[in-house]
Amino acid sequence: MTLPETAAKISADESASVAETPGVSAASLGGLDTADPSSPPGDPSLARYNRQMLFAPIGVQGQKKLRKARVLLVGCGALGTVLANTLVRAGVGHFTIIDRDFIELNNLQRQVLFDQRDITDQLPKAIAAERKLSKINSEVKIEAIVGDVNHHNILQYAREKDLLLDGTDNFETRFLLNDAAIELNIPWIYGACLSAMGLAMVIRPGLTPCLRCIFETSPPPGMNPTCDTAGVLGPTVNLVASWQALEAIKLLTGNFAALNRGLFSFDLWDNRFQQLQVARAREIADCPACKHHRLEYLSGKFGSSTTTLCGRNAIQISPPPGQQVDFEHIATALQAVGQPGYNRFMLKCVIAEGHGATQKEYELTLFRDGRAIIKGVSDAAAAKALYAKYVGS
Amino acid sequence: MAVNVRIPTPLRGLTNGADVVPAPAGTIDAVLKQLCGQFVGMEKRLFKQPGELNRFVNIYVNEEDIRFLQNLDTPIKDGDDVSIVPAIAGG
Repeated sequence: MTLPETAAKISADESASVAETPGVSAASLGGLDTADPSSPPGDPSLARYNRQMLFAPIGVQGQKKLRKARVLLVGCGALGTVLANTLVRAGVGHFTIIDRDFIELNNLQRQVLFDQRDITDQLPKAIAAERKLSKINSEVKIEAIVGDVNHHNILQYAREKDLLLDGTDNFETRFLLNDAAIELNIPWIYGACLSAMGLAMVIRPGLTPCLRCIFETSPPPGMNPTCDTAGVLGPTVNLVASWQALEAIKLLTGNFAALNRGLFSFDLWDNRFQQLQVARAREIADCPACKHHRLEYLSGKFGSSTTTLCGRNAIQISPPPGQQVDFEHIATALQAVGQPGYNRFMLKCVIAEGHGATQKEYELTLFRDGRAIIKGVSDAAAAKALYAKYVGS
Repeated sequence: MAVNVRIPTPLRGLTNGADVVPAPAGTIDAVLKQLCGQFVGMEKRLFKQPGELNRFVNIYVNEEDIRFLQNLDTPIKDGDDVSIVPAIAGG
């Protein structure tokens, strides 16, 4: 069985695809009224950004800076889809999205770029996002990468970017982003949410405290509730990501004086908004990362080859980099235990083990780079054992 | 009037859902000790060991980090707001 092949338009290699639609001039947008009398003077190709340019601190010059900007978004789930949607519409010139996951029905409540069809088509999030975004603004060069960000590859993705954006759902990748930002001296914008509460902060290496000045470590696994146990509301996500997007616009247009200098903290349900003071954290915190330059996540000292996915009763297994797996071969082997299906991006198979009352079901999702998400398992060792058994170690 | 301790979502499972817990004025240390005595499991969430907060939790008095004040010895008076802000990972 082969999954519906809807990826015909994606032309690049199997794990990454780049949509570089030629710029659409305002005049070629047939039927759309682009001759807006309130348009600022200058480049007519900027007409679509008229309402944004009329905001004085941005203006034509700010818009041109946005067009030149190169941004990396790590994670394209709840925060990530709002960030991508907002900033691609705003005209950020080069937008790279990296995400390791596929779309599930319970994502649609808050992940604004996806729809039911994407689930039927079994699209990875990065690919589905790229398709929507290129319809929204074909002037933006969007690069979509289906993959896991880890200490082996983050510098390669982050290098030569003007800004890194946090759309992740776990501490480890955030601390890795923090290390990469310090190493490359690139600003990044932290954002996180749970239930109705949110936290966000602009981090500019050398100028502001970093994430580890504020939270030096992450809580041990299982100590804190996650979005999957405590839930999360769409408006919470939208508020955090919109705050991040606005700070991104300030940064990319050179409006540094307007940047928020605190840790933005809110609880929408309790009607509580705070601007927590963090400016002095750099002097006071004995920060391993930005003060002592011990980049423990980037060096691989912290971090693991398995990741528990935000309370989903799922474990991700990341093999060493540079692998390519043969779906056809693996699907043939899996036919003994289930009904595997695959398209060019991923292979899925529900595996039943045992019989009767002791029967257990696992859902294996395997990506081209050998990375797997195994659902129905909560400990790393069991996940590794399943991987070794069905994919190979 | 007392001090209001704001309980964040991740800790409300321990406070029977309460988002604000009143405490008498004094020091942060006394307020947190009372909180830990009042709610089972709170101590483990806040403290690495006695006198040392976990590094994934910050305490703010009226939006100022206690690390910039006098840490656990920071005095608090009636009407002050104490916020417990844990690192969160959702996104």
